[in-house]
Amino acid sequence: MQKIEDMVCTFCGCLCDDVTLTVENNMIIAADNCCTVGNAKFMGKNRLKTPIRKKDGAWEKVSYEEAIDYTVETLLNADRPLMFGWSGTHGEAQCIGIHMNELIGGVIDSTTSVCHGPSILAIQEVGHPGCTLGQVKNRADLIIYWGSNPVEGHPRHMSRYTVYADGYFLENAFKERKVIVVDVRETESAKIADEFVRVKPGGDYAVLSALRAIVRGKGDVVPESVAGVSREQLFRVADLCTSCKFGALFFGLGLTMVKGKYKNVSNAIELVDELNRHTKFTLTPMRGHWNVYGSNEVFTWMTGYPYAVDFCRGVAFYNPGETSAIDILARKECDACLVVASDPGAHFPRACVEHLKDIPTIVIDPFQSLTTPVADLQIPVGVTGIDAEGAAYRMDGIPLKVNKVLHSDYPGDAEILSRIYERMMEVKGQ
Amino acid sequence: MKFIMNTGRTVRQGKHIESKLGKAYGDETGTCYMHPMDMLALGVEANEKVKAFTEVGEVVLMAATDEGLPEGMIFIPYGRHCNAILSPTTHSTGMPDYKDTVVEIVPTDERRKSAAELMEEMGGVPYAEN
Ligand code: SF4
Repeated sequence: MQKIEDMVCTFCGCLCDDVTLTVENNMIIAADNCCTVGNAKFMGKNRLKTPIRKKDGAWEKVSYEEAIDYTVETLLNADRPLMFGWSGTHGEAQCIGIHMNELIGGVIDSTTSVCHGPSILAIQEVGHPGCTLGQVKNRADLIIYWGSNPVEGHPRHMSRYTVYADGYFLENAFKERKVIVVDVRETESAKIADEFVRVKPGGDYAVLSALRAIVRGKGDVVPESVAGVSREQLFRVADLCTSCKFGALFFGLGLTMVKGKYKNVSNAIELVDELNRHTKFTLTPMRGHWNVYGSNEVFTWMTGYPYAVDFCRGVAFYNPGETSAIDILARKECDACLVVASDPGAHFPRACVEHLKDIPTIVIDPFQSLTTPVADLQIPVGVTGIDAEGAAYRMDGIPLKVNKVLHSDYPGDAEILSRIYERMMEVKGQ
Repeated sequence: MKFIMNTGRTVRQGKHIESKLGKAYGDETGTCYMHPMDMLALGVEANEKVKAFTEVGEVVLMAATDEGLPEGMIFIPYGRHCNAILSPTTHSTGMPDYKDTVVEIVPTDERRKSAAELMEEMGGVPYAEN
């Protein structure tokens, strides 16, 4: 039995790097320090054992060689291939994905387009007053979670970086820190807040505008109630924000998945900008998948754009709403799809999944997912952080090396993608 | 009755993310959380079934109480069930209305389908060995 410390949990954007794994006979028998979700990930079973291919409506086992040949042929024969996913794999695999997409002139998109894509659009519009989670942990005496429920979505965010964490520059962090939660529903996170602001559905933009007005000294224009929030509470919140030493606003999909989308986030950034005239204030999107931030970094270094990058013209083109996965599938535009480390079968609207079923769809994933039933081929790979390794970016943009603890015969994502890419180059005579 | 459908992550959904064809995942993602007053108005109790409709489809869910929700809003954990009735319209942003879709809810005696059955309904074929 061996205990291995400081392992990285590859589930959510917190990318907790303090996990202790107990390994016996090349199996993980215990995972300490992680949350229930991380624990389930490390103890996960039921991996797909070999590549599988659907023929005449039934699945059969195939070799890795056959699976690679099928993938190369399908993607090279497609007129408008889509390569989607990338947030649940390491940076090295993402790099190869971009090269491959350039070669085949396809569209490459990550799960960003269905999580914080609108946040990136807002950041491109008005900038990003961000900082690392270490700064928040050690300095912040005011934390705001807006449209985010970390208790369920990022279970250790509060204990590692905010509510329950010690702070180097705070005497008694737990007592000194105030917590504000803004949401349409009273979530578990809202229950532990000092101030819970319940906004009527669709009212975030108006509440952010009202706070901006108050912080600007124009509070007299604010009516008695804004989207269900009383004027009194708005002034109280504005006062907490301007009087803190260091405020950190974390926001979730409660801003990006409702009407207004990126405009809500722009308004939140403008509020933080305004607050920086009074004190120090930062803003961080609560990124979901463990390496979704990494996909934006890698895509940006290599193409100039963070997600939804279309190479059909031979050069990178970016226009979310047109070149994003949901739109391309809903328009039935793509004629083949490679899904890497994500599950559109579970998370995409019905019309998109029906189109995946109608075109050749290839999945690279360690587990059978809800995309498997509508796919034509699945190639199992190692799990990064267990039996595969590579680089990942935490939600605040900090890169971390993710090591492996087990040896297995599964290839990692980068290895399988390299083999596919090399074969494509051969076929194309490059 | 009309409601706003809000969808999102839950710990239980996250815990079973690697066995999505299993019962525990489908039980969680096939749950419709509602405010008790809305349940009273609809005449349903916890563990009774409701059917949700939108212009793109319908799905049967198990009702559950959540006093934290505002009246007029339902919450469904991310998964196949909520996406069976979600429109792919993104208003040119790339992002559908995952947290802001109007749905019609009625009580029903129909059977709730599992995630695998919902995939089969679309012509999907689950792989039997896992
Ligand atoms: S908070 Fe996220 S990264 Fe940390 S242990 Fe839990 S699931 Fe893993």
